[in-house]
Amino acid sequence: MLERLMKRSLFELVTFAWIALALLGLIWTPYDPQAQSFRELSLMGFSKLHWLGVDGLGRDMLSRVWRGSGNTVLLGLAASMGTLCFSAVLLFLEQKGPILLKKLIRGLVSVGISLPVLFLGLILLVFLERSPSTLVLAAALGGVPFGFRQLRIVWVEQKGALYVMASKALGSDGRHMVFFTIWPNIKGQVVSLGKILFAVGILELSGLTFLGLMGDPDFAELGTILRQNQAYLFLQPSLVVWPGILLSGLLLMVHLSNIKTKS
Amino acid sequence: MNAEHLIRFLKGVGRKLALFVTIYLIASMALFMAIRAIPGDPIALRLKNPDPVRVAKERERLGLDKPVMTQYVLYGKSFWTGDWGRSLLSGRKVREDVAQFFPATLELSLAGLSLGIIIGVLTAVFAEGFRSQWLKRFSFFLGTLGLTVPIFWIGLLALIVGSLWLGWFPSGGRFDLSMVPPPNVTGSLLIDSLLAGQWEKFWAAVNHLVLPAICLSLYPAAQVCSVLQARLQDPKIEILKRALKARGFGPARIWFRHLLKVGSAPVVTVIGTSFGALLGGAVLTETVFSWPGIGRYMVAAVLDRDLYVVQNVLLLVILLVVGVVFITDFLAHVINPVATKSEEDQ
Repeated sequence: MLERLMKRSLFELVTFAWIALALLGLIWTPYDPQAQSFRELSLMGFSKLHWLGVDGLGRDMLSRVWRGSGNTVLLGLAASMGTLCFSAVLLFLEQKGPILLKKLIRGLVSVGISLPVLFLGLILLVFLERSPSTLVLAAALGGVPFGFRQLRIVWVEQKGALYVMASKALGSDGRHMVFFTIWPNIKGQVVSLGKILFAVGILELSGLTFLGLMGDPDFAELGTILRQNQAYLFLQPSLVVWPGILLSGLLLMVHLSNIKTKS
Repeated sequence: MNAEHLIRFLKGVGRKLALFVTIYLIASMALFMAIRAIPGDPIALRLKNPDPVRVAKERERLGLDKPVMTQYVLYGKSFWTGDWGRSLLSGRKVREDVAQFFPATLELSLAGLSLGIIIGVLTAVFAEGFRSQWLKRFSFFLGTLGLTVPIFWIGLLALIVGSLWLGWFPSGGRFDLSMVPPPNVTGSLLIDSLLAGQWEKFWAAVNHLVLPAICLSLYPAAQVCSVLQARLQDPKIEILKRALKARGFGPARIWFRHLLKVGSAPVVTVIGTSFGALLGGAVLTETVFSWPGIGRYMVAAVLDRDLYVVQNVLLLVILLVVGVVFITDFLAHVINPVATKSEEDQ
């Protein structure tokens, strides 16, 4: 177990630890991240009781960014899972559908890859209510062109692979082929794709929440926290620096661990 | 261009046009249906005294009493003729608003894109040309920064450093409030102040543009740098470089006149595909720097459910992004038909 753990890159371990710590913030934080319990200390910097200071509404910043990191990770995971599911369905339609549908899907994907998620989010928000689930849906759908392309590359590679044909010729059943022949060969690619989609999902979601599209302005999420604290940029810059460091740090770790996975 | 290339090119144009029409139909239908799915009556919201007779009159005037299919056709007709109606909240003509806000976004986006291309190309060429480890590390850093750090956070940090600590740049806006803007000719403050020969106003506009443009340039710089670097590492390019060196050409001529031309086809495509991200980034940058552009206008319209603004401006921006992608595809084909053909074959 320890040997297997040591084989993983340092970046992967740090990323896992970062995500686990962020998720811990969903169940425990030093103070209530929503309660305005320290109004008399508002905009105070570092202190022994409040390591990252207190925001303009008298809330402990460490608790807010900790809970915010947890929510950001959770929403990012949901968006990346959604992207994978939508992409898989689209790939199925593209592979099994008539030629016209194939061409349409490929054409739309080639254009959709250059359309920002933000516009999709704005279209959805015209008729759906402003909520985390709407933003997750926008981020999940927005990632589909990229997810579809990557899944298609994996699929086309595996379809024509010699070892798959050999396994078929040896009489492997579908289940055996998927779990013992194909999966070990594509695991690295799928994990790498998952990491990219996770990072992209977080980046897009934080952009949408920074614009105030979340609905609840007090919802502890890193983009929303940055938006709220922008008002105090010139009074207490650290209120903007810390959430950004956590957001960028997480994305950087996922990116670096992905480079290691690819290599 | 021989006959085979011409036929291939024309087929490509036909395919792109068909796709453009399909995207227009999908986007316009989605927006049209989305607007109609909004709970409540936007006309009643618009009228201060919404008695049923006035609401019915207004609905008739706007064609909202007609069958849905007719309404959709009318929507398409009014979109293409530029009759985009009035904002339900401000009462101003949407076309006038777009004419006011769009040049600001275009100015910011073009400044960010130009800066990004210059940074990306120079970094890639010098990193490969001098084979410098430091420049290669810088290009890796640029790529990582552009792809992992959210643009709005970079914007906030730029404000802290450039405005709060150094005091070199203003904290937001597009122009000094104490100054009278130059006469409006193109909508771009930079060009208008140059046309009027008002240098003081030109520098004021530049001063406001520097921080947002730097923030916006990071993503295209990262994209251009990584694609061009990968292209320049191609063994064929190495052979070409040796051949040009053997002919006695200097490094500047080899890199900037020959190799850059061969390597620029995928870069042009990347610039096209980055244009959408650039516009998305512009929306966030406008929010950070209080830049009065189309992005902020669009977000405000969606949040306020301003029917005519949403259905026309969003469609316009989507079609603009798709149009730019197609145009850059063609440009890439014109610059290097062989490279784009081999990429299509792959």
